[in-house]
Amino acid sequence: MSKKAAPRLAVTDLQHKYGDRPVIEGLTFTLRAGQAIALVGPNGAGKTTVLKCIVGAAEPAAGKILLDGLPIDERAEAVRRDVATLLDDLDFFPDLTAAEHLDLLARAHGNSSPEDLVDTTLHDIGLLPAADQLPGSLSSGQRRRLALATALVRPRKLMVLDEPEARLDTGGVQWLSDRLLEEKKSGTAILFASHDPALVETVADSVVTLTPLP
Amino acid sequence: MSAADGPVRFDPSDFGTIPSSRALRSWMRTTRRQHADRSFWEIFEDVYLVLFTLAMVGATGGNVVRHLNSNAATCTSWTCGQLTSWLPWIVMPLLLATTIRVLLAVGPVSASRATGFWLLATPVNRASLLRPAYRLVIASVAVIGVVAGAVIWALLGEPWFDVIEAAVLIGALLVCAAVATVWAQQTTRRSKWALRVSDVLLAAAVIPAVFLAFRPGEDRFTNHIITSTFTVRDAGGLTSGQLYLLLLCAMAVVVGVVLAVLASRTLDRLGRISVIAGGELLAGLAGAASSLDVSMLGDVIAGRHWRLKGRVRSRRGRGADGAAIVHREFHRILRWPRRIAVAFGLLVVPYAVHGAGFHVLVPIAAAIAGFIAVRPMLDGLRTACRSTGLVRALGWDLRELRVVMAVVPGLFTIVWAACAYPAVGSATSSFAVAAAVISGTVRQASARPPSYAGPLVTSPMGAIPPGLFSQPARGFDLLVLCLAPVLFNLSSLWVVVIPSVVLMLMFAVRPKTA
Repeated sequence: MSKKAAPRLAVTDLQHKYGDRPVIEGLTFTLRAGQAIALVGPNGAGKTTVLKCIVGAAEPAAGKILLDGLPIDERAEAVRRDVATLLDDLDFFPDLTAAEHLDLLARAHGNSSPEDLVDTTLHDIGLLPAADQLPGSLSSGQRRRLALATALVRPRKLMVLDEPEARLDTGGVQWLSDRLLEEKKSGTAILFASHDPALVETVADSVVTLTPLP
Repeated sequence: MSAADGPVRFDPSDFGTIPSSRALRSWMRTTRRQHADRSFWEIFEDVYLVLFTLAMVGATGGNVVRHLNSNAATCTSWTCGQLTSWLPWIVMPLLLATTIRVLLAVGPVSASRATGFWLLATPVNRASLLRPAYRLVIASVAVIGVVAGAVIWALLGEPWFDVIEAAVLIGALLVCAAVATVWAQQTTRRSKWALRVSDVLLAAAVIPAVFLAFRPGEDRFTNHIITSTFTVRDAGGLTSGQLYLLLLCAMAVVVGVVLAVLASRTLDRLGRISVIAGGELLAGLAGAASSLDVSMLGDVIAGRHWRLKGRVRSRRGRGADGAAIVHREFHRILRWPRRIAVAFGLLVVPYAVHGAGFHVLVPIAAAIAGFIAVRPMLDGLRTACRSTGLVRALGWDLRELRVVMAVVPGLFTIVWAACAYPAVGSATSSFAVAAAVISGTVRQASARPPSYAGPLVTSPMGAIPPGLFSQPARGFDLLVLCLAPVLFNLSSLWVVVIPSVVLMLMFAVRPKTA
């Protein structure tokens, strides 16, 4: 991937506060197409907050966040089309099966006959036997896999993932690692927060280390 | 199945035109119908039951209101005149303030987390996705406004033409307020301003209540008010005032409709997070309401308040054993100053009832206002009673813990009852009011939640735990018991003895846990 390409995501001097307490100060980085940046740091360092600011789930106190050179706004159609997000705000419709959830998402992104895509994705993520199960009957790990699958049945230029390895078994983490490398190859930019050094080592091109502010 | 040929490859040509929200909803409806577990007739039976219940309640309520209206219309007493003059000025800003605050708490446009992730985060037109929820909010507010306006003005004994005018005007005003909250929901700054406006309206509602509470005696004003009230009613046809009000109603309706249409075009400016936050709160409230648990409703609102607050300054504890818990409770209560301000603001209720001339009702009004004032201060006890782990960690018996955690709210109740003493009128009645408030609030706060794990009772609504329907009355039963000697005008001895016995028994018994 050419290093001269315009950054897919540019974060400049990002600041965020909880009340009067600063959580993030002066965070700056750029992420290009086909690159992956990992946010690492101890609990409470602000990793999730950074991701939330980027996807519009939290309001930064200051700073600029640009997606393809334009200020990012989750209300804009382009952002909703191009940014695949996996934070902790995922919930399921209790009366739609795993396959129907993915089907719905693919259709909402403009795929009018996504049956093959959904089946392939379910197989890829190891959920094909659970395709007809309702979310309430899925295990915690299966729900996590389904959540990860949401990023694969839609167009994406940027993936924003918060601890994608959480609740996955060893095989699942290996699959995730391979999958993210595939995504990079296909030109997707990836920003993820992680506590797994092996995943960071394998996938990330750069690492942004956050430390809790006093 | 065409799967299993390796990992998913992203092919942009798979993704074409973004579907309309209508098409997506239609797909969801069709999909859901495929695994519906109830037949059409079962759904029809439920709908019929709901409509029949609504019709019964509406007919009964309507009859009661009609009866009270005709009674109030012939009322020539000083107190009726007082209410007719002052109540509208209290009710209007109070309704507006409540509407703004409640709507901003739940959105007003809201959606579940699932909808937020699976639909609102997609490129499908957001305004179109949110429009059904928006329409539901506006329609609900309009209906609530019309019903509230009609009931209040009917109870004041106004002619039915005036009642309809007032109902339409209040409905339209509330719709305008609802539209304003939709506009405010679009940015945090606007929401803060809207909350300030609601505070101003709340203060505006308190001012006439204070006037009512501290007006001079009835002799000076009787003739003026009764005359002015009934002069208008006796005039045949429409008076100029009624015509003016009619014009105002028409204008308010037009403005309401225009604003509602304009606001519906700006729904795409709503952030996903603000929409989901309201949906989460509504889901919590619906869960609490389904178990008829008033305390849980309070828990949901308080929980959200503290989540939004996020951070407060830690304070060191003081003392040991019970003193430490009392000290901690004191600081915890001080942490939400608004509640204390509202609690003292509620003192206006007994004074207003007294000022309006309903002397017999002052103790019960004082006790209910005191209950509303003190109950939020018992959140700590409520948390302890619902968490066996916390009780175990504190190392106390729950009965002792209940006594200790009721100390600060109890002291506040004494201060509050002392402040209400001039309106209540006697020391023994004030004691009964204080006892009613503390015993009622403590009983409600330490109530066991309904358990679906034990034996259930068959009902037309399905299996329900025994005691579910008595849940909302919990606490108010002791309140009424303590006040019974006052209401039945028994001797001072009984007015002191009965509440004392209730208090002693209340704190002697160990609360049951879930």
